[in-house]
Amino acid sequence: MDVTQLARYPFLDEARQLVKEENVRTGEILHDPIYERARALGRQRVNDAIRDGVVGDYPAASETDALMNIFSYPIARIIVASVSSGYATGRYALSEAKRAYEHLQHESEELLMAIADEHGLEVGDDMAIYFTDYLEHAPTWSDSWKLVNMPLSRGWISLQKRQLARLLQNAIQDAIYHEVRQMEPPSEVRHVFEDEVTRLRTLMEERQMQREADMGEVTVAKLPPCIRQLLAAAQSGVNVPHVGRFTLVSFLHAVGMDTDDIVALFGGSPDFSRGKTRYQIEHITGKVSGTEYTPPSCSSIKSWGLCPVEKMDAICKRVKHPLGYYRIKSRARRNDD
Amino acid sequence: MTSFLQERFRRYYRDAAIPAPRRFARREYGFVFFDQAGMTRHKGFRQHDELLELLRERAPAHVYHSSAYYETPDASTMQEKGWMGADLIFDLDADHLPGAEDMRYEEMLEAVKQELKKLVSFLTDDFGFTDQDLSLYFSGGRGYHCHVVHPEVLPLESQARREIVDYITGRGLDLDAMLREKTIARRGRMTQTALEIAPPDTPGWQGKISRDIVDFFRELQDMDHGEAMKLLTSFDGVGEKTATGIIEDVTDERIERIRRGKIDQSSFIKKVMPQLVKRCAVELRGEPDEPVTGDVKRLIRQPGSLHGKTGLRVTSLPLDGIDDFDPLRDAVVFDDTVIEVELQHPVEISMMAQRFSLEKGAVEIPEYLAVLLAGRGIADV
Repeated sequence: MDVTQLARYPFLDEARQLVKEENVRTGEILHDPIYERARALGRQRVNDAIRDGVVGDYPAASETDALMNIFSYPIARIIVASVSSGYATGRYALSEAKRAYEHLQHESEELLMAIADEHGLEVGDDMAIYFTDYLEHAPTWSDSWKLVNMPLSRGWISLQKRQLARLLQNAIQDAIYHEVRQMEPPSEVRHVFEDEVTRLRTLMEERQMQREADMGEVTVAKLPPCIRQLLAAAQSGVNVPHVGRFTLVSFLHAVGMDTDDIVALFGGSPDFSRGKTRYQIEHITGKVSGTEYTPPSCSSIKSWGLCPVEKMDAICKRVKHPLGYYRIKSRARRNDD
Repeated sequence: MTSFLQERFRRYYRDAAIPAPRRFARREYGFVFFDQAGMTRHKGFRQHDELLELLRERAPAHVYHSSAYYETPDASTMQEKGWMGADLIFDLDADHLPGAEDMRYEEMLEAVKQELKKLVSFLTDDFGFTDQDLSLYFSGGRGYHCHVVHPEVLPLESQARREIVDYITGRGLDLDAMLREKTIARRGRMTQTALEIAPPDTPGWQGKISRDIVDFFRELQDMDHGEAMKLLTSFDGVGEKTATGIIEDVTDERIERIRRGKIDQSSFIKKVMPQLVKRCAVELRGEPDEPVTGDVKRLIRQPGSLHGKTGLRVTSLPLDGIDDFDPLRDAVVFDDTVIEVELQHPVEISMMAQRFSLEKGAVEIPEYLAVLLAGRGIADV
């Protein structure tokens, strides 16, 4: 791959190799004026990702630009790792992966296969992948991606290029997320990017407070463990399965939260799209579908594997429905006042 | 009565061949005892003999093991257990079949057996599992279980397993995508469209539906007029006129065109298509119980053990022997020693290739039937 193309996929081994072969010491990257451009781009990558949820296409036409672009990626990762927040990492990983997806749709099948291979996805003839890999990476909470609507034959699903690219987006996101979460950036890094890191941390805290304020009357303390866990997952950038979203939204609706507030809560989800989220919520709350769904009972939540058994408390044992838990807690609080 | 059943169960477990589940020591075991309320679970065994000893000593009414493998199977919380993976389990039960409540026990079991064949065809044709990967069991009660043991399914989470069930039950299937309206000609403001379905050899549900549509028309062709009219007018919005039109229009040549995906020329056939697609989807879908497959820490019945409500054995059956399997013969472990029981109501049943028409009150019946009826609470011993 030439460097211009490689700049679109700076997370690939080939890019990593290139940075390694340049033989630059960490100190140089962090301090040398030559790499000022890379550092600036690295900051921008992180900011764009966390603020706006997208990583842009930074200049890569000339070889130098492309190189700086590639160098900015490991720098961005170091900054994100220093912020040390699951939410920030999730959002960053998703933004990088989304950008890759935009480009991958227009690349050759060979390149897609190579990237799949690097991420442990086996692709067979006719761009077919095994159904368990499909289930791991496809956004099956969306109807058109449900397994039932795929051409499954003898365990394999033949995909179109765009579909394979979308699965790769997910695989890339997972890989970046886990790598960054495991990084332990040297303290020197924190020093160089101190302003950045502090600012981002403050931003994360503000967003957290904002989300809590948005809950209004519905205080987290009254929520049963299952709902609390789903909420935390939705906000921290973990993909919540469809039944989980359903449980969460129908519950929050039932305790009186309005659609706007629920949409705001999902703002932290990595694949957050305001319009789509609103539609899904309005479907569940009956505004679109005409059916107002009631939240599922404890036994359903358990059978879906969404009940955090180890976090069950005394109230959980008394109730058969998460709303029962909420009512008991609400009563207890009123009595306290 | 409990003591009668327990005594017979004890006799069975004295020298019963109970296979050790794969990775025996990694499983959690659970029991329901005759003389104790509720289920005793979170049991673990190091050796197969320890389990056999418990069965001999306590002769439980029901015996289960987990579909999951754990680092510490006998820990009492999930967190301490340390989940390592789980077999993929399908449960087919008469409760889920339409009309089951009006069937006799053996009819019910026969209906579920047909569902089992459907399930196996999904698992082999669509999912590509081989007979090495699948184990089939009669549950001892009202249905059948299928265990899929395959390295790729072990780590699947609940959500992924539900996607697999949804595939089999057709839940979320996009029926609109089965029929495509294609513009074939345009004259000024007039457009001419043709209806298409996927070619029958298309993988997945699209091909299934297409094959079923072709079969439907072939069968329709073979029916006599009255029968065909009756079938067609059972569709919503299809009256005599449309039905007659369809029957006239279904020719060999047209079926051949449908087989190539082209639903054109006949406006009558076009009209019935959306409903036909829906009907085919309902006909083709499997009926496995969704929560069972989605639950990655479920307890399932131990093969070789007895079902406390029937005294029938959880019995393995080969993939190619589904048709020949007769649960009321092959899962029977007790003999025909004559026993006197008191029936609470009349009983009609075929068992061990023998037909029993029993009156209410005192009757003499073979032990295997006495155990079944005592287990179901119909007979007092």
